[in-house]
Amino acid sequence: MSLVNQIFKFKFFNFLPLFLLFFISFNGNSVLDLNFFSINLHYILVYYWTLRKPETLGYSLIFLSGIISDVIYGFPLGINSLSLLVIAGVASYVRVVTVRITLINDWISFLPALLFANFVYFFSLYFSNYNIDYLFLFKNSVFTFIFYPILWGLFSLILNLTKP
Amino acid sequence: MQTSREDFGIVVRSAFLSKGTQKRFSLTIFIIISILFIFLETFDLKPLSFVRSVLKDTIYRGSLIVSSPSKFTNNFKNSFTSHIQLYDNYSKLKEENNQLKTKISKSNFLELENFQLKKLLADQVKSKSNFLSARVMLDKQSPYLKSFIINMGSNKNLKNGMTVMDGPNFIGRIVDVNYFSSRVLLITDFNSKIPVVVEPLAKHAILSGHGAIEPTLEYLPENHNIKSGNKVYTSGKGGIFSPGIPIGEAKIENEIIKVLLYSDLSQITFVNVNIGNLDNK
Repeated sequence: MSLVNQIFKFKFFNFLPLFLLFFISFNGNSVLDLNFFSINLHYILVYYWTLRKPETLGYSLIFLSGIISDVIYGFPLGINSLSLLVIAGVASYVRVVTVRITLINDWISFLPALLFANFVYFFSLYFSNYNIDYLFLFKNSVFTFIFYPILWGLFSLILNLTKP
Repeated sequence: MQTSREDFGIVVRSAFLSKGTQKRFSLTIFIIISILFIFLETFDLKPLSFVRSVLKDTIYRGSLIVSSPSKFTNNFKNSFTSHIQLYDNYSKLKEENNQLKTKISKSNFLELENFQLKKLLADQVKSKSNFLSARVMLDKQSPYLKSFIINMGSNKNLKNGMTVMDGPNFIGRIVDVNYFSSRVLLITDFNSKIPVVVEPLAKHAILSGHGAIEPTLEYLPENHNIKSGNKVYTSGKGGIFSPGIPIGEAKIENEIIKVLLYSDLSQITFVNVNIGNLDNK
């Protein structure tokens, strides 16, 4: 019984990031907009799991969740996918070059990932003739960066639970 | 120096071109597909529109199912708070009722007067509008795009640009039509620019959304003399929307003319789509 429980727990926590990825895409919670600040959960989720356990979220699934977000938010198809894949790309790069896993390393390397992703986002929207509140995008990026350690801690807990 | 450049090349190749464990395609392939998708969005070909329409309809249905628990929780929370505020609401309504009763007698007189004046002017205003009622299917409150999805599309002959109203009030227009669903761009969105007229001064302006609750009036003439409380209607300029649809009231704040909308855009469940004005063309 205990073995069955352990397998179930392992499977559950292994699929949790994937479940979260699609839940926030379908539910339109990719950008958590609270009264005073907003956080891009999608970016943090994709960055953390591509960096720490890349087999959890495949590139095809990241691409698909981006397409879903585009449809839900009413953006031209491909914009969110591209920025998420850029985040995943930077995370893959950082994974290859880093040896030690520390919060500070992850946090600092998250900054260029955010910058690249937002540049792609801005450029794609400009190319598609879409106007958005760029000040909101800037504030969102700042708070996404600030809140990264909190979600890093939460995801690290989940990551520990996926270890047999 | 050359060694570090080679190292960089190896790392980039490893990150972007290698497939990795349990992955069939490399990251670069998906980046290329995404760019292709963005590029294809600029084309309006029939087969592409059909594929997009099917994809969007499917995702909207999926989203409807996924968001049903949170919808249920919200409804439960709203009903619980409304039960708690029952007594307060009752007192307020009682007071309001008394005020309304006094106003009714005044309005009856005005109605009669209005009817007689209209008769006098031989005013034969007949609306050629043809409305369709639709239900709001998804209202995701995106921080970027102020829009929602309604449960009608090209199956009910909806077209891009059609006027969407909440009761008699203008709230937006249709910007994306799928087979079973359509996206309504609200007047508060950044991309919304509506030609309006401010009464009783009959000043023409453009109502611009900024993502906030209250859109603002732009391109007004100098010395316009607009005051808080002046009514804002669609002007019908450009021939896209019917003229005279009420939108809201002007509200001057720090020399910026905002428009207090008649409809609360976060509380809309059913909308009317004017399918008449485009069909007549």
